[in-house]
Amino acid sequence: MEIKKNVLSCDVLIAGGGVGGLTCAIELKEQNPALDVMIIEKQFAGFGGKANKGGGVLQYFQLDKITPLDFLRFHVNEIGCFLGDQNVMLKYVEMNHGMLDKLSSWGVSVPKNPDGSYNVMPTGPFTAMIRVELDITLRMRQRCEKLGVRILDKTALSGFYVKDGRIRGASAYSILDDGNFYTISAKKAVLATGSQNYRFGSMWGSGRGDGIAIAYRAGAEMRNAEFGNFSQLVRYKSHHEVVFGENNMYNAKGEFITKNFTDHRQTDIPSTAIREWYVQMMAGNGPVHLEFGPPPGGAAPEKKDPPDLSKMSYGDKFRTLNWMDSQSVDTDFEVVPSLIGEQSCIRTDGNMRTTVEGLYAIGDCSYCGSGAPGAVPAPPGRNRGSGILNAVFAGIVAADDLAAAEYRDPEPIAETEINESLDYTYAPLFRDEGYDPKEVIRLVQEAMAPSEYSVYMREDRMDEAMKFVDKAAAMVDDLKASDMHGVLSCHEAEYILLSAQMHYFASRMRKESRGWFLREDYPETDNKNWLKWIIVKNVNGQMTAETEDVPIESYPVKLPE
Amino acid sequence: MIGTNHRIEFDPEKCVGCQMCYKACFVDVIRWDEAARRPIFKYVEDCEHCFCCMSVCRRDAIRVIPDHESEHLLQHFDRYR
Ligand SMILES: Cc1cc2nc3c(=O)[nH]c(=O)nc-3n(C[C@H](O)[C@H](O)[C@H](O)COP(=O)(O)OP(=O)(O)OC[C@H]3O[C@@H](n4cnc5c(N)ncnc54)[C@H](O)[C@@H]3O)c2cc1C
Ligand code: SF4
Ligand code: SF4
Repeated sequence: MEIKKNVLSCDVLIAGGGVGGLTCAIELKEQNPALDVMIIEKQFAGFGGKANKGGGVLQYFQLDKITPLDFLRFHVNEIGCFLGDQNVMLKYVEMNHGMLDKLSSWGVSVPKNPDGSYNVMPTGPFTAMIRVELDITLRMRQRCEKLGVRILDKTALSGFYVKDGRIRGASAYSILDDGNFYTISAKKAVLATGSQNYRFGSMWGSGRGDGIAIAYRAGAEMRNAEFGNFSQLVRYKSHHEVVFGENNMYNAKGEFITKNFTDHRQTDIPSTAIREWYVQMMAGNGPVHLEFGPPPGGAAPEKKDPPDLSKMSYGDKFRTLNWMDSQSVDTDFEVVPSLIGEQSCIRTDGNMRTTVEGLYAIGDCSYCGSGAPGAVPAPPGRNRGSGILNAVFAGIVAADDLAAAEYRDPEPIAETEINESLDYTYAPLFRDEGYDPKEVIRLVQEAMAPSEYSVYMREDRMDEAMKFVDKAAAMVDDLKASDMHGVLSCHEAEYILLSAQMHYFASRMRKESRGWFLREDYPETDNKNWLKWIIVKNVNGQMTAETEDVPIESYPVKLPE
Repeated sequence: MIGTNHRIEFDPEKCVGCQMCYKACFVDVIRWDEAARRPIFKYVEDCEHCFCCMSVCRRDAIRVIPDHESEHLLQHFDRYR
């Protein structure tokens, strides 16, 4: 394969064409049509992200019944456990209706009632949902194309050019075997590359932490890296997720074990449900299964003729196929936890600026890093329907800031810098021999998957997990690929490893339990010593960490006396 | 998921070459054969059995057949049984 060097330029480069990246591009072009906006997407923009693989619900706040502050108070107490940046969360709630209106104006079908109000399903005193089709991002891609956003599909970001802490551009490569390597000079850049899911659960495959690792290497600070350990109950054989299954857990003795960790219905699965599974299994009371009272919520539909898939919309067909698949192999409701991860730790301020000048991070790659949610992993973040809208929120906020920003020509990128980046990008292809990246990924999965390592943590168990991580780290600089699909896998293996390293680095430091974060050896929440963010940073190739006090006194919701 | 053994059946006769499955596969299992105007299921070992390709195909030309036993959650379940 011959490598072809391409040189491009734009005002704003957006990496990642999921709902976050597309929002930012549309909003920027609508505010300032003269800006030259480019999206690079390693798969296909509008197809590659998560928004078309999910439950298809958008969070709705009934702001005629509650105030944004009511929701904030609930969230801070029940979910974020005082670790959040309350100003960002408040702004997210306040913008809820405006975001839905914007989505509608961009061609997304957000269902409405005959009187023009949104068609809403209340889900609790503070929350409600709107069910939408799974074609949101396709509609948004069409809107981007109409507005003149340039889109490069099948093109992966591989690094940034930064000088004096300021962004100048990026390198990227085609994942097809056409040899295209891009040097993109950009005045500003936005990361919208999704979270880290460790290549685990089937619908979470796109979250491989690319942007997190690339930002880290570029010197950006990370925050809340220890909150990237989301785990969910899945059916034992098909591994299909059972949302809200935590409310119906029973052990093999027929005891209702949900009552051991909660006395009320939670908004979404708490990590204590995962701990309960582990405790029951260790006590020899497994396996754990779900029982549903009549009518069987989530149980098999009555026997009918097989559904006619040919007449279904994409979303209905997708959901039906997944349901039929799980029903075909899981004859009962035995459940086990599966790591989902959702590390999202790129640190941003309230305008989604990272600590590298000119670089922004939005959506799933910076959910925890933005500080907004507090002590809980990325969307759903125990807050169903917040994933898509958080990405829309962050995209709009970043675009507002970018539209008002000053644009200066970046310093040119020298040929030596380009060659250095090219060598790094294609190194696995040029190596005569080396390790299969999947060996590294599997080792990291061994370190992250067991619930007692990554979710219900304890010092000695983290030591055990770190043995897998260290073994992977000894291999990662010698990966070998035979084509570009393999090259992508090699880089993803690096990103996956770095996320695990940051997870355990920060988790060992936080000597308390808070919200989702659980340590068996430090079971109490320690507001005196640990109302702090852990900031992880790359200093001359070394991972370092420091803490920063959460400015709780300046926030609307204070600690209880 | 890695190291899986899911299978994909493809019927080139039913396919009309719309490229939707190629675009829908978010983990690059599917490549495009420009000359034949047909998808190539090139990296099936990376298939995540998400059913996206099957769901976008309006011609019923694709069938994804998951092998769940080849997916490992690495929870060491048996240790706890
Ligand atoms: C199964 C499932 C169910 C869900 N259900 C819901 C729901 O019902 N409601 C809700 O609100 N949220 C839901 N979510 C969450 C929601 O979909 C996400 O929070 C949201 O889509 C994130 O958007 P994003 O743009 O930040 O990231 P993503 O959608 O992950 O997009 C990131 C994009 O960046 C690309 N990319 C990655 N690395 C690179 C690179 N190096 N170079 C270029 N491009 C790159 C990826 O290919 C991808 O297209 C669900 C998620 C899943 C997986
Ligand atoms: S979606 Fe179906 S019809 Fe279209 S290219 Fe793929 S297999 Fe062929
Ligand atoms: S099932 Fe999903 S991962 Fe497998 S080939 Fe189809 S789109 Fe790709």
